[in-house]
Amino acid sequence: MLTVLRGGHVVDPATGKDSVGDVWFEDGKIVAPPAGGKADEDIDCSGHVVMAGAIDIHSHIAGGNVNTARLLLPELHRGIRARLANTPLSTAKWSTYETGRLYAQMGFTTVIEPAMAPHHSLQTHLELNDVPIIDKGALTVLGNDDFLLRQIRAREPESAINDYVAQTVGSVRSLGLKCINPGGCESFKENMRAFGLDDEVPFYGLTSRQIFQTLQKATQAVGIPHPLHLHMNNLGIAGNVQTALDTIDAAQGLPMHLAHVQFYAYGKEGSNAFSSAAAVFAEKINANPNITVDVGQVMFSQTVTISSDVLKQFNSMPGGSPRKGAIFDGDANGGGVVPYAYKISNYYNAIQWAAGLELFLLIKNPEQVFFTTDHPNGGPFTAYPELFALLMSAELRAEMMSRLPAEALEHTTLPSLKREYNYYEIAQMSRSGAAKLFGFTDRGSLAPGAIADIAVYKKSRDVAGMFRKAAYVYKDGDLVVKNGEVSHYKRGKTLHIAPRFDNNINKRLDAYYAELYGLPRGIFDVPDAALPHKDAFAEVACKE
Amino acid sequence: MTAFTFTLRQEPPQRVDLSALTPDRLAGKSLADIEKIEIGTTRASIKVGDLFKIAQGDLKTLRYEGGSSRFDLVGAKLLPGFSLHVDGDVGLQLGRLAKGGKITVAGSAGAYAASGNEGAHIEIKGDACELLAAPLAGELAGMSGGRVVVRGKAGARAGDRLRRGILIIEGDAGEDLGSRLIAGTIIALGKTAGRVGYLNKRGSLVLAKHPKLSATYLDCGPQELTFARLLARSLKADSAAAASLLSVKLRRFGGDTAVYGKGEILTPL
Repeated sequence: MLTVLRGGHVVDPATGKDSVGDVWFEDGKIVAPPAGGKADEDIDCSGHVVMAGAIDIHSHIAGGNVNTARLLLPELHRGIRARLANTPLSTAKWSTYETGRLYAQMGFTTVIEPAMAPHHSLQTHLELNDVPIIDKGALTVLGNDDFLLRQIRAREPESAINDYVAQTVGSVRSLGLKCINPGGCESFKENMRAFGLDDEVPFYGLTSRQIFQTLQKATQAVGIPHPLHLHMNNLGIAGNVQTALDTIDAAQGLPMHLAHVQFYAYGKEGSNAFSSAAAVFAEKINANPNITVDVGQVMFSQTVTISSDVLKQFNSMPGGSPRKGAIFDGDANGGGVVPYAYKISNYYNAIQWAAGLELFLLIKNPEQVFFTTDHPNGGPFTAYPELFALLMSAELRAEMMSRLPAEALEHTTLPSLKREYNYYEIAQMSRSGAAKLFGFTDRGSLAPGAIADIAVYKKSRDVAGMFRKAAYVYKDGDLVVKNGEVSHYKRGKTLHIAPRFDNNINKRLDAYYAELYGLPRGIFDVPDAALPHKDAFAEVACKE
Repeated sequence: MTAFTFTLRQEPPQRVDLSALTPDRLAGKSLADIEKIEIGTTRASIKVGDLFKIAQGDLKTLRYEGGSSRFDLVGAKLLPGFSLHVDGDVGLQLGRLAKGGKITVAGSAGAYAASGNEGAHIEIKGDACELLAAPLAGELAGMSGGRVVVRGKAGARAGDRLRRGILIIEGDAGEDLGSRLIAGTIIALGKTAGRVGYLNKRGSLVLAKHPKLSATYLDCGPQELTFARLLARSLKADSAAAASLLSVKLRRFGGDTAVYGKGEILTPL
């Protein structure tokens, strides 16, 4: 069926379009306007903004830690109240079902879970598979695992390490590689409670710098489209901007993605010895085009922090609110779940909020900075519309700033920043740039041939409201959201890559598992048959 | 002036959420508005007017003529200075998160009665089901203030994670009375069962019948406790039997030493 979205303001940085026009699609793909110009369905989009479906590059929506958080905080998703219409278990907030529904309503059609521990991949994929409508993907995590650290310690050739990386990324059906506090989590098990860029991991004698540089090179060599996704050391600590600047220098000009950088933009100025250092950080990022970042913006609300950085999470336990948490110390990274409430009246939280916005506004290239709250660590993804509104209005930011502690404003450059994002920059950040970052050629774009993932928003002075409830959302050409409500549920796919490697690594790993765990390695695999639907996966091509 | 009265027309066809019907929240609403309040908990709609005949009166005191085990959240978040009486049974979470005031129930109460109560005086003339004054799943503390008197029996795990306040059970208590007790006082006049005071941090349990204690409670011998006599005096109006239990010489067991161990179980010699 040929459909045309007629007369909308088409914002598509992938093709450079930012003007009123028509978007045609047929059989799930965008097509060029046909010669005859007669559509089976003609939808009037005047007064609307038409963009490709949005891509969230870093959002913890599935996996062992997410499930632990659900169990730890039943009070956030009680199932004993009245059910709303239309949805099964609609009061069970934060279920896989709700995740798909809420993302789709905001016009998001692809979401990446950034921290899938290799041994938890089956659980993660079962959860992802249960998220309706949107396409999903996951990054897997290496860098604190014994096998890799042994390899580096033994100075094995790069080819052996590349094989291990490729084998892991492929067998757990991930989209790429993440490294979380490299070496820090392993050191935590040896009772270290702080771990910097050049500290040594006990027994392995390796530094954080060595570990991520190795993985950075392997990621490139294996042809993984997404650069190494790095969660640096010293997250959330005053003065940690130095770690971030040193990490960028250590990247040696190779591509690297730094995750939730807001949590690293802190100086030590002021009477609280805590200030925003976002300005220097942003300057460094502007000067290093090999670096991409996502922000991890803090939004004031009750949330829960979920991280495989067990060292950081352990240190966060005393500040948890409500005062409970779960720490899991084992299997490479381990992890921790600590509830937290970001308060507008809290000096530290106010600095965090301001530092995140500074990064958004000071980093010049919107395809270098990505839109995240590190859901749920800085705030739930449902706060995105409010964040879009803040980026697009200096006035709104000023109004929020008037409610912050006055002292906080002295230690951030935010009051002096008047930049306002426009639709085009928003689309670069959340569509075209995000697609490029993951090597997606079929999405984040409205060019003919791309899949028909399209979000249409009714223009409004209330920017948050506009982005919260899309007027129309199409997934693979099917109308899934109408007037801000899901009108049709369908299954999305899980995207993954399959890098090539030498099969000898399998034999080596079989022997390693048999010796160390006494278990067959195959129990951690994610075969097609493990998931309830045959066509659950879709492969993304690697770089040559 | 007479009380503001809800008279039950017939047994409700589904569980009803009555948290909206507390005196403070009804203030300023017209009769027609009140009758339109939605109280259903399923897809089928049920409104206040469908279930109750309303007689307007002084909103300081509110009465339900007739009750049901399907009446959930009666007196939830009640404020100080108001009172509420139910001439019948109530369902789950009676007086949930009440800040103060007085609630009396002529019949029995469902599970989680007085859950999260912060200051209300609650009297249940019949029995209470399990998890009396306990927290809901995920919450860290149960009742944190106020006073609860149950004239009949209480179900399992009464006083679970009690944080502050006094709980008096005149009948028998179910299994694991005062489990995970943080602080506060529980007085039980009937029989007890199971692991009494399991993981008690620093709460006080006063038991009329000598319980089978776990090995993590240590005998501290008979005590002359001035405080017990003061407490007895303050309890006289609520429960004469509880007051007389506290007026005799008591033996003290310290525990639960499996945890913090600053709690106690007091029983008559």
